[in-house]
Amino acid sequence: MTQTPTSTIDGQTTQALQATLGAEHAALWCYSLAVAFLVEPQQSQARRDADVHRELRGRIEQTLTQLGQRPVSAQPAYATPQPVTDPASAARLAVVAETDCQTSWRALLEQTSDRGLREAGLKALTDATGRGARWRAVVGATPVVPVFPGKP
Amino acid sequence: MAAQVGPRLTRRALLAVVLLGPPLAACAPAGPTQAQAPDPLIALADAARADATLAAAVIAATPDLAVRVAPLRDARTEHAAALDAEVARQARRSTPPAPPRAATGAATLDALRRSVAAAGESARQAALDSDARRVGLVASVAACCTTYAAQLG
Repeated sequence: MTQTPTSTIDGQTTQALQATLGAEHAALWCYSLAVAFLVEPQQSQARRDADVHRELRGRIEQTLTQLGQRPVSAQPAYATPQPVTDPASAARLAVVAETDCQTSWRALLEQTSDRGLREAGLKALTDATGRGARWRAVVGATPVVPVFPGKP
Repeated sequence: MAAQVGPRLTRRALLAVVLLGPPLAACAPAGPTQAQAPDPLIALADAARADATLAAAVIAATPDLAVRVAPLRDARTEHAAALDAEVARQARRSTPPAPPRAATGAATLDALRRSVAAAGESARQAALDSDARRVGLVASVAACCTTYAAQLG
């Protein structure tokens, strides 16, 4: 996504990119909390998933910087929908994090017609759906694969 | 561009062009023009219906697979309905939705996986060019299908 031509990226798109960056910041924070409560093999899975979010975050920040925008910073902490106290609630938080990322990536797709961003957004939405499905299986959510991932 | 291409045409190539006759568009009966090209979501909706039919056939052939395959059958049924609704909204469909095709070939998990993987890739391609109003729906269909394909792999 760092090679996209700037000519087709407008303010609406950069706003959506900032929102996506915010969701990736939040996901990283969620995984850092979840890892403390998860047990193996989910703990290792959470670390791998966090690595992917870290990579995505870096790429969005790089893209925004190239567009002359200052990337939004992470919040010091985030409110979790439910208290995280054990492996089950930690896995549920991972589901929330991935669901939020799916929503923001789909929203980004709706805010840009830039082909590079569309390609990147489609991959990110699909990857987040796959990670989310793994966590949904852990917590017993059905269907494991959402019918319309990222639909608000 | 024509100036660059022109000199490279060999005599043999020119003959071939002559033998092909006039451009097809010139002699074709009044068919759909670019402006009336079929809505690309029609093919995606038909693929969703075909996947739902195939998934149902897989379950009928191997009832033990119902737990794994029924959610996919249901998802593809919902995809077809949502895509049909979007096609109808744009009102570019001149014919009613194709009736579900009978599953051709063996109703196996592998056939279903290949079918849903292809549907995911078709939707991904369509999403690259979709307008803002429908890209979210098409992207969701792509993400759902690709994830199911990975799960069945």
